[in-house]
Amino acid sequence: MPNKTSTNNKSHIPPNSLLFEKIIPALLILLGVITFGLILFAAGVLLGFVHF
Amino acid sequence: MSINQILPFISTAIMLGFTVYVFQRFFVRRNLAFLYWGIGLAMFGAGSFAEAYLSLAWNKWVFFVWYLFGAALNAAWLGHGTLNLLVRKSWVHVVTLALIVGSLFATYLMLQAMPKLDTAVFTTDKPISEQYGTKVLEAGQTIPADSETISTTYRGKEVTAVRGLLPLGTPVRLTTPFFNIYGLFTLVGGAIWSAYLFWRKRVMPNRVIANILIAAGALSIGFASTLTRLGYGQYLYFGELIAAILMFIGFRYAARPQPDEVVVQETIPASAD
Repeated sequence: MPNKTSTNNKSHIPPNSLLFEKIIPALLILLGVITFGLILFAAGVLLGFVHF
Repeated sequence: MSINQILPFISTAIMLGFTVYVFQRFFVRRNLAFLYWGIGLAMFGAGSFAEAYLSLAWNKWVFFVWYLFGAALNAAWLGHGTLNLLVRKSWVHVVTLALIVGSLFATYLMLQAMPKLDTAVFTTDKPISEQYGTKVLEAGQTIPADSETISTTYRGKEVTAVRGLLPLGTPVRLTTPFFNIYGLFTLVGGAIWSAYLFWRKRVMPNRVIANILIAAGALSIGFASTLTRLGYGQYLYFGELIAAILMFIGFRYAARPQPDEVVVQETIPASAD
């Protein structure tokens, strides 16, 4: 079986990085909550529950 | 010129560069996501320019551009580009058709509204987003400063309303939340979801950060618009500028080649060659 060399261009998230272990997950949750809130708000305007 | 009159022009210039960059990528890569993003960005840029223009002078067709592209359609087209990357193409084609039909219908309704514009209320002292719509005053609500009111019959009730350019119950206004909810859900939701997928797989750190920047940029417009409706219109143009900058950096960052390409030795059966 011949060996074949290929390039894996998927770079990886560095382990034990404060940014990727703590800050990014917190940001993702925060952005998700804000988005959900805004969608509920917009739906409230659309359905007439919120007078805007 | 005040800072609030200059900021939309800066946003427009950024969006113009951003739009050209995304269309260039579409012509090179032939990926429909770039086409939809380019359309959305062109609409965003046209809306920003219209807003800048309307802070200096009145023109009803500039208002047409501002409302249709800036307030109603751009978020939906931007989000549609993101959807194109996340779901099966057969579904995207169906939604694309619905979006085109919806956009044409909104254009028709906007054209219908044009002869009914209450242009007497227009002023360059307030952002256009604070004066485009006639709003019913609820019991106990105070009349905003520098606003004119009318008493009229709306949905069978006698109401007092703050006058705006588009009369009460203009049908085109009913279409806007649909486009904006779709845009918010797909653009911001799609960016958050993409960032989460890359983060969970521990790959492409640039795309994790890029998608967070895109989501944050898109949300900053939502925040600025909400603040405007609550009477803090001075933050709108700043919010749009932040959105343009964050999304542009996010797109550029996502497309950036990764420096640490890893060479992997694979053992592959000869028959597979």
